[in-house]
Amino acid sequence: MSQSRRRFLQQLAATGVAIPTLTACQSGSGDQAASSQPETGADSNDTGNNRNVPPKNEPDNSPAPTESLRFMALGDQGTGGFGQYQVGAAMAAIAREQGSEFVLAAGDNIYEAGTTDPDDPRFLEQFEYPYQNLNIPFYLCLGNHDNGATPLGGGSDNKRGNNQVTYHRSDTRFSNKWRMPERFYRQSFGRTEDGSPFLEIFVVDSNPLTSFYQDHDEDFSWENYGYPQQLWMKEAVRDSRALWKVVITHVPYRSNGSHGNAGNLDEGLRWLFTNPDADGQRYKDFMEECFADQVDLIISGHDHTLQWLKPAPAMGPAHLLVTGAGGKTDTLDDPDRNPSFFQHQEEHGFVWFELSRDAMTLEFHIVDPDEGNRRLGLRRSVTKPLAATALKESVDA
Amino acid sequence: MKRRTFISHGMAVGASVSVLGGCQDTASNGPGSASDSSSDATASDGSGPEDAAPAPPTGPYPFHHGVASGDPLPHQVVMWTRVTLPDQDEIPVRVEVARDPSMSTLLHEGVAYARSGNDFTVKHDPSLPDPETTYYFRFRVNGHYSPIGRTRTAPSPSQDQGHLRMAVVSCSNYAYGYFNAYRRIAARPDLDAVIHLGDYIYEYAQGEYGDPDLAQDRALDPPHELVRLDDYRRRYAQYRQDPDLAECHRQHPFICVWDDHEIANDAWREGAENHDPALQGEFQRRKRAAVEAYHEWMPIRSTLPDRELRIYRSFRFGNLLTLMMLDTRLIGRDEQVSAPADARDRERSLIGNDQRRWLFQQLEQSRDRGATWHMIGQQVMLAPLTLAQGPDFPNLPFGGGIKLNYDQWDGYQTSRRALLQRIEAMGLDNTVVLTGDIHSSWAMDVALDPGNPLAYNRFNGDGSLAVEFVTPAVTSPAIEDKAVATSAAGALKLNNRHLKYVDLHHRGYMILDITPERCKTDWFHLETVNERRASEVFGASWFTASGTNHVQEADLPSSPRANPPAFAPESDTADTQKETAS
Repeated sequence: MSQSRRRFLQQLAATGVAIPTLTACQSGSGDQAASSQPETGADSNDTGNNRNVPPKNEPDNSPAPTESLRFMALGDQGTGGFGQYQVGAAMAAIAREQGSEFVLAAGDNIYEAGTTDPDDPRFLEQFEYPYQNLNIPFYLCLGNHDNGATPLGGGSDNKRGNNQVTYHRSDTRFSNKWRMPERFYRQSFGRTEDGSPFLEIFVVDSNPLTSFYQDHDEDFSWENYGYPQQLWMKEAVRDSRALWKVVITHVPYRSNGSHGNAGNLDEGLRWLFTNPDADGQRYKDFMEECFADQVDLIISGHDHTLQWLKPAPAMGPAHLLVTGAGGKTDTLDDPDRNPSFFQHQEEHGFVWFELSRDAMTLEFHIVDPDEGNRRLGLRRSVTKPLAATALKESVDA
Repeated sequence: MKRRTFISHGMAVGASVSVLGGCQDTASNGPGSASDSSSDATASDGSGPEDAAPAPPTGPYPFHHGVASGDPLPHQVVMWTRVTLPDQDEIPVRVEVARDPSMSTLLHEGVAYARSGNDFTVKHDPSLPDPETTYYFRFRVNGHYSPIGRTRTAPSPSQDQGHLRMAVVSCSNYAYGYFNAYRRIAARPDLDAVIHLGDYIYEYAQGEYGDPDLAQDRALDPPHELVRLDDYRRRYAQYRQDPDLAECHRQHPFICVWDDHEIANDAWREGAENHDPALQGEFQRRKRAAVEAYHEWMPIRSTLPDRELRIYRSFRFGNLLTLMMLDTRLIGRDEQVSAPADARDRERSLIGNDQRRWLFQQLEQSRDRGATWHMIGQQVMLAPLTLAQGPDFPNLPFGGGIKLNYDQWDGYQTSRRALLQRIEAMGLDNTVVLTGDIHSSWAMDVALDPGNPLAYNRFNGDGSLAVEFVTPAVTSPAIEDKAVATSAAGALKLNNRHLKYVDLHHRGYMILDITPERCKTDWFHLETVNERRASEVFGASWFTASGTNHVQEADLPSSPRANPPAFAPESDTADTQKETAS
């Protein structure tokens, strides 16, 4: 990465003109004006020194309540490779055609071992460039590779993930798309008639809870990190008055992919691991204690496939998604492990969402890794999970 | 020691009870409760001059199973009795509660009912004015009075509590001997409660599991194995007629949970080792019968009728103690396994998801309210019991050493890990686990990986997260041969680095003595259960100092509390009436 190129982009970003220029082709965003300033969440930790970020706690003055909200989700995207570019292009096209106000990214943002510095050129190569035509905010969570000490994704160097938080507020970042105000956080979008948020996301930092290898940094022990995160998350979800509640976390609660279900993660490989929590038993309890019967959707990555799994009894009505095909591909390890609505392997892809007051529409977009062609894998609407009648209908379906 | 021996000696004589009680009472409860007047008071009408004199006793004497109390809250205690009268479906029962043992001033009078549907057992749960107060109570039917019971409310949760004393018992097998332990506990005036960790009755038939020498004197009723509701009721009724147990119930509130023998040996959610569906029918039927009889006969606070299976519950004793009572048998336990890999099966649970979540919540609440001690009363041993102990490797299908008993937490390692990891994650100090089931006395450190010298230091207790005290049986046997028991204990200590004290021979009980500085357990061992003899020896004393989370030995048992409340007086009335009636 040449310094001059970098500085050029920085300056573009700083002027604020750069963004519309770069994304001039993207007319879709205008349709979503209702909540073009999504950051109304009370817990945003922006300190106000970021040029393009509105000050925190600013009341949402948009006149009309949100009728619907469109966004996309992907995960395991940060390879900097061809696949990531193809998916980025496909997402830009969908955003243009159908609208999308933001993107949820389910971790492994920078392969293979995260970043060692907030100025790491990988931010440019593995995030900014691939999505240069998609100028909407990305709300990201941390994955095991973001905290890896080695390319194996062992997740034993959690401190490394802090660089991705620092980048969020860095003066030298290349755009203002990267949103990760904390390692775990909440963020609300839109508003309902009574002023409460239309959607709130709860972003979990799952790596310290499940890493393959043990991080001996006491700052990330369960006592100092995992359990406080659990208390915070539990309280945050119960405190939220949002209509829709969505969880983003890297490690799936359930998956038919190679990593498997929380509670028995990486069954065949685990003998190689040093972290006694590598099975995800504790993580499973974490998820259930915080989110059971509290949320509509749990979006995760980690397995490089697309999955829409049916609600699990211990978690309540939440629909379970795996969207880890944003940059890598894999096969479904056991397609029958958990009942599913849809699953797809060996191709890239992402999910587009439209939430209305009482229903959600999901579109699974498949991106062929050879040609980069995009096609629709599934489009389906279901009633909002967290409503009295929702579970029945979705299970019947 | 001398003082305690003197006191217990005095108790046994009975005459000195009132003398001691009299002088102590003046100090603690103030005037007006001198026990030397107690027999007079009960002989005459105790309900006070303002009340119309109750009709003279008519019909047969109805109280043959004593009185009991349990589940103390700051303003409530469950009071229990049973009424035995022929040819009636519903019998109204008068309940009287007083502050003094002579029942001279009643502060509560209520009506409860003995109904055929409940096997004529009566529970009354009055609201009482003061926390941490001893109350006396009795029942009246047809002019007959029950024996007077004594009970005690818990201190209010916010109270700055300096001291608590409780007895802990388990495994009381009628056929295996006399309930000398209960008699000894009954003779201790200064206890706040008695904790029973289960195996209160045994389901076996005559001759199946008992001392052959006592086959005549401790013959079982019914003589066959308990399967149907009526069987379980009869067995409870027999136990309650044992004078030592009856006296213990009469003097102390109990906090009880069942273990397996209240239903059948090695019970779990859907079956039991000692249950043959082909011969004994559907297990769920038997379970329902056993649970119903338990709620009828035990002084437990029963909630909704359809929730009787849930007995896990908690008690707060001032800011000193939260006592969480678990059910490791019926509500969540998956079937026992025998292979090491199965014992680590992540799908298997000992206490079930709901109870686990409840327990974690209780621990959080206990910490948040600033309780010093978080005590978990439960049935089976939490700490591992191993041979060839070594480091554990949670990511491998084995580790930690060869487990000796898969009926205890060793057979449910995922459940144990979840609990210990939560304690570790919370940074929770002062968790104390009480255990029964195993008919022997143990003091242990509880660590996540006790076989790993890097994770747990056996010399200073570093790495230990909690402590565990195991109470011996009231009568059920462990190793009868003293020499064998001693060498076996030595072998176990060598093989279990976290095991600090074990006695595999004696029956007895534990006395918990809890202060803000330490939680101490004294083991008292009986000389015999082959005859009714109230002599005991001090076995051992171990404690955990606040904040240390490991056990240390003490060389003396804790001193009894000064000025304890007076005993409930011997009830001459009941005896005379019994005789008159017969």
